[in-house]
Amino acid sequence: MSWIKATLSFINARRHPDEVTREVETELRFHIEMRTRANIERGMKLQDAQNAALQSFGDFQRVKNSCCEIRRGLPFDSTLFKMGLHITLAVLSGLAALWAVNVPHHNLTGLMRQLIAIAVLAYLFIVVRRAKLQRRSDSEHMSDALAVPTERFRVNKSWTSDLSDASSGKITAHDELGRTPVERMFKS
Amino acid sequence: MSKSKAGLLQGTLDMLILKALFLGPLHGYGIGQRIAQISGDELKIEEGSLYPGLYRLERRGWVESEWDVSENNQRAKFYKLTRAGRKQLIIEEQNWERLASATMKALRAS
Repeated sequence: MSWIKATLSFINARRHPDEVTREVETELRFHIEMRTRANIERGMKLQDAQNAALQSFGDFQRVKNSCCEIRRGLPFDSTLFKMGLHITLAVLSGLAALWAVNVPHHNLTGLMRQLIAIAVLAYLFIVVRRAKLQRRSDSEHMSDALAVPTERFRVNKSWTSDLSDASSGKITAHDELGRTPVERMFKS
Repeated sequence: MSKSKAGLLQGTLDMLILKALFLGPLHGYGIGQRIAQISGDELKIEEGSLYPGLYRLERRGWVESEWDVSENNQRAKFYKLTRAGRKQLIIEEQNWERLASATMKALRAS
């Protein structure tokens, strides 16, 4: 199964990072060599053929680093994994808190359990707060992405003439005599 | 008139790699050549960008690789499409057709 292969490949890449780098390099060099040969067959000189091959390949180091990073990365979407881990920890903490508060606190054991309960509840609070902040920042990113068209409709000081507070660039409904636009239309 | 090559839309490279491998296993260089061949040399791809794409596809389980000997007796990594990759290619092709027809419809609207 492919996910088993992916997991084994991930473990192998983590255990032998140098081997991964060597493999990637061998693969990329093979590509450049093949391109160089093709260029020579088209009538280029060796040096020109190599230069052209390197140029058509792009940034060798960047590609190599990118490939190595992917090979060493988790074989699945890590955000889902992290979310699952947080939910599991939160549920376990909740259960621990329930267990801890459900005892009398007139002895040392009871007091210790209550302290544990406070600690796990504090942890839960932090997890929930972090999740909320994350969601808020995600939605801000979304609105940033959507903000581009609305930017065009920002108030331009030159449009505002006498209906605007020119110093702040804000549209105001009243002119210098305190009249609204409708009053201005009918009473002028 | 000079023939201008089209740049690739984001996300289409994966589909093109899957399509190239649909015709049989290939090494990275061969994939680039096949994409050029099947597109009638119209698509301009920075050759190096194929590799991160291939590694991502391999991580998703859509392609698999193994080291073998190339046509000029050199050690090379060959990629082939998995069953999941074939299914993904069909999905990608359908999505692409839908997007292309919707865009055409929008462009032809008066």
